[in-house]
Amino acid sequence: MPLSMIAVIVLALGAIAFAAARSKARLFKPVGTERLHSRPNYHAAHMLLWVVVPALIFVAMWSFVAPRLINQSILTSPAASELPPPGIERDAVLNEIRDLATGKLEVSFNPAAEQLAPVYRDARDHYTILGGIAAALLAYAGGGYAWTRLRREFRARNRVERAVMVVLVAASLIAIFTTFGIVISLLFESLLFFQKVSPAEFFFSLEWSPQTAMRADQVGSSGAFGAVPLFWGTIFIGAIIAMIVAIPLGLMSAIYLTQYARPRFRAWMKPLLEMLAGVPTVVYGYFAALTVAPAIRDAATWAGIPGASSESALAAGVVMGVMIIPFVSSMADDSLAAVPQAMKDGSLALGATPSETIRRVLVPAALPGVVGGVLLAVSRAIGETMIVVMAAGMAANLTLNPFATVTTVTTQIVALLTGDQEFDSAKTLAAFALGLTLLIVTLILNIIALRVVKKYREAYE
Amino acid sequence: MSDRAPGIGGDLPVTSNPSRWNSDVMQRRVARRYASERRFRRIGLFAVALSAGFLAFLLLSMVINGARGFTQTEIKLTVNFPSIAAGVTPAALSAKGGDEALSGLDLEGLAASEATAAYGENGAALLSDGAWLTLRDAIKSDPTLITRKGEMWVPASVEIDAAAKGRGDTANTRLVAQLKTNGQIKTGLNKTFFTSSDSTDPTVVGIWGAFKGTLLTMLVTALLAFPVGTLAALYLEEYAPRNRWTDLIEVSINNLAAVPSIIFGLLGLAVFLNFFHMPRSAPIVGGLTLALMTMPVIVIASRNAIKAVPPSIRDGALAMGASPVQVVFHHVLPLAMPGILTGTIIGMARALGETAPLIMIGMRAFISSPPTSFTEPATVLPVQIFLWSDEVSSGFVEKTSAAIIVLLVFLMTMNATAIYLRNHFERRW
Repeated sequence: MPLSMIAVIVLALGAIAFAAARSKARLFKPVGTERLHSRPNYHAAHMLLWVVVPALIFVAMWSFVAPRLINQSILTSPAASELPPPGIERDAVLNEIRDLATGKLEVSFNPAAEQLAPVYRDARDHYTILGGIAAALLAYAGGGYAWTRLRREFRARNRVERAVMVVLVAASLIAIFTTFGIVISLLFESLLFFQKVSPAEFFFSLEWSPQTAMRADQVGSSGAFGAVPLFWGTIFIGAIIAMIVAIPLGLMSAIYLTQYARPRFRAWMKPLLEMLAGVPTVVYGYFAALTVAPAIRDAATWAGIPGASSESALAAGVVMGVMIIPFVSSMADDSLAAVPQAMKDGSLALGATPSETIRRVLVPAALPGVVGGVLLAVSRAIGETMIVVMAAGMAANLTLNPFATVTTVTTQIVALLTGDQEFDSAKTLAAFALGLTLLIVTLILNIIALRVVKKYREAYE
Repeated sequence: MSDRAPGIGGDLPVTSNPSRWNSDVMQRRVARRYASERRFRRIGLFAVALSAGFLAFLLLSMVINGARGFTQTEIKLTVNFPSIAAGVTPAALSAKGGDEALSGLDLEGLAASEATAAYGENGAALLSDGAWLTLRDAIKSDPTLITRKGEMWVPASVEIDAAAKGRGDTANTRLVAQLKTNGQIKTGLNKTFFTSSDSTDPTVVGIWGAFKGTLLTMLVTALLAFPVGTLAALYLEEYAPRNRWTDLIEVSINNLAAVPSIIFGLLGLAVFLNFFHMPRSAPIVGGLTLALMTMPVIVIASRNAIKAVPPSIRDGALAMGASPVQVVFHHVLPLAMPGILTGTIIGMARALGETAPLIMIGMRAFISSPPTSFTEPATVLPVQIFLWSDEVSSGFVEKTSAAIIVLLVFLMTMNATAIYLRNHFERRW
C-alpha cells in the first residue's frame, strides 16, 4: 500500500516539525514583566497540526481519486480497445488487471489483462509519485506557514484548543451520522423493495416464500412476500413464550433478592444472575439447538402432541426467556427500590405480612417501572438473532402450536442475505424492509418504555 | 380494647367487634396468612434457584461436552517415507519451491496404505481423513524424514476417537481396547485445536484462525470505539451547550444503544460493502461495524464516569488558571479513566460475543488459513461456533463446545478485569 507509506512519511515529517518547533519555542524569553502565553508543547502541537492535517486530508482524498485516474489511463491506452464494453464484464477484467499487477494473481484468464497489467503498474506508480509530491508540498507549505507564526507572543494554545474542540464535536457527531446511516440505508433499500412488492402485500398478506425466479420460465417461483407469518413468529417467540418464562422468574427473583435475601446471598446471586445476560447469544443458540430442542421434541412426541418439530418455537422461546431474565429482574429491582420506604412501613405497621405488603403495595406501586422493563425486554427479544437462527425454523407458519416450527423476522433477514445473491433482487431487498420494520418497532417500544419509566419516577420524586 | 372508640364521634356509643385473636377462626386465619407468606418466600427462592440452575446447566453441559474437544485420540503409525519419495531429496524440500515438491507427494495414499499394512483391511478407516496433514507437517519441520522410516502418532477417525472417549459402539470399543493393550493408541491434549484453522474434518479443526480473526477485528473496534466514545462523552458532558443539536446527539446515542445488533449488520452491508466497496468478510469491516455498535455503550458509561468527578476538581483547576481544555484533559479525564475503561471493557466483551452483524457482512466464510491482514477474509470465534454447530458430523459437537469454552473464558476474563478495575481504581468522592 504505497498510499499508507505516504501517510507514514507525512507523520514522520510532522514529528520532525514538532521537535523543531518545540526546541525553538523553549528559547522564548519573556520581555519585562510580561508572562509567556503558550508553553513550548502548544507551539509544537500547532506546528504539527499544520504539517500533518492538510497533507493527510489530501492523502485521504487522493486514495479515492487515484483509482479512477488509473482506470482512466488504462482505458485510454491503445491495448484497451479489446476490452468489453462498460459493465460487469469490464469490471471483472479491471479487477483481474489489478490482481495481476499486485501479484495476487499469477496467471491471467484474459489475454487483455496480461497486456494491460504493465500499463496499470506504470499508471499506479505515476499517480502514487504524483500524490506523494503533492502531499509533501502541502506538508511543507503548512509547516512554513506555521513557522512564520512561531513567535513569543503567538497564542498557540488557543489555536490548538480550538482544534481539540473540533475533534470533540466531530466525535460526538458520529452518533448522528450512524443513526442517519442506518435510517437512510434501510429506507433507501426498503423503498426499492416496495417498488417491486406493494406494502399492502408485505404487511397484510399471509404467505411468505421469498424465492424469486432464476429464469423467467421457471415454475412455482412466483415469490410471495407476505410478512405476517414472520411477524407472528417473532411475537410468538419473543413477546409471548420468552416473556412467560422471563417475567415470573425475573420478577420473583428481584422480589426475593431485594426483600428477603440476606445481604451476603444477594451480593453473590445478583452478579451470578447478571452473568446470564453476558453469555453470548450464539452459545444460547447452540444450547437451544443441541440440548433444549431435542428434549422438547421428545417430550411432545411422548405426550402425543401432533406437529412436534425439532425446531420448535418453544425451544427458542424458553432459551430466549432465560436470556432475558436479568433484564426483567434488574428493571424490577430498580423500580422496587424506588418505592418510598414510608409506603412499605405503613403497610407493615397495619399488620400486613411482608408478602402481603409486596403483593398489595410494593408491586402495584412499582408496576409502571416493571412494565417499562418488560417492554425493553420485549424489544430486546424481538431483535435477538442467533437463538432463533439456530433453534427456530425456516418455515413460515401461522400457528398457535408452540411445538411446531415458526420463523422470525431476524431469522429471515439472515436467510435472505446469506448465500450469493444479486444485490437488487426483491429477495435481498426484502431483508432491508424487514430490518426497517424491526428497527421501527424496537424504537417505538423503547420510547414507550422510557416514557413510562420516567413518568413513574417523577411520581415518587 | 374498650367497647368505645375514643375521640371520634364524641360520646356516641360505638359498637365494635373486637378481634378475638385466640379464637379458632382467627388462629386459622393467621396460620393461613403465615403459610401464604412462607409459600411466597419459597416461590421467590425457587425463582432465583431456577435462574441460577439454568446458568449452571448451560455451563455444565458446555464443559462436559467441551472437555472432550480438548483431547484427541492418536494412532501409532510406522511410515516408510522413501516408498513415495520418488527422487525427492531433503535438500529439494527445504529449498525454494519445496512446498510444491511436498504437495506432489502422495502422503494421503501413503497414510492409507501404511494403516492397511499395520492394522489390516480396515486399517485406513481407523485414521482421520486429515491424518496425512500430520505427515506433511512432520516432513516440513524435518525434511530428512523423507529418507527414512518414521514412527508417528496420527489423529484417529471420529468413530475411533469417540470410542476411545467411551462413547463409541461396541465394535469400535473392542477395537480400541485391543489397540490399547498393544500400546498403539493414546488420547492426549489436542494441540491441533489451538494451532490450526477451520477444516471439513472435525479431527483436525482448530480455533487459531478464528481466534486471530477475532483479535484483528477487536483491535479495529477498540482503536475506533474507545477514542471516539470517550471524546464524544467528554464533549457532551463538559462542553456541549444545551440546544437542539446536543439533544439530537443524545437521542441518537440512546437510541443506538437499543438498536438490535443485526441492524448494524445491515448498515455494514449497505454502507461499507455496497457503497464504499470495502472487502467482504474482512476484519476491518467487521471491526468498523462492531465499533459503531459498541460506541454508544462506551459513551453512556464514560458519561457516568465523567459525571462522577466532583465539580470542585474543575473549580480548583480553573482557579489555578487552567484553560477549559486543560481542566478536562489534565484533571477530569485521568480521574474518570478507570470508569471509562470499565465501560469500554464491558462494551468490548459484548462486541466479542456478537455474531449476527458479522454474518451479515460475510464473515461466515470457510477460512482454512489464519488471516494475516485487516483486509483478508477472516472469521471470528462466535461465527466459527455458529458454523461448526451447523456441521453434520458428530465430531463437531465436542469441538463446538470446546470453542464455546474458550470464548466464555475470554469473556469472563474481560468482565473480571472490568470488575477489578471498578473495585480498585474507582474513587468514591
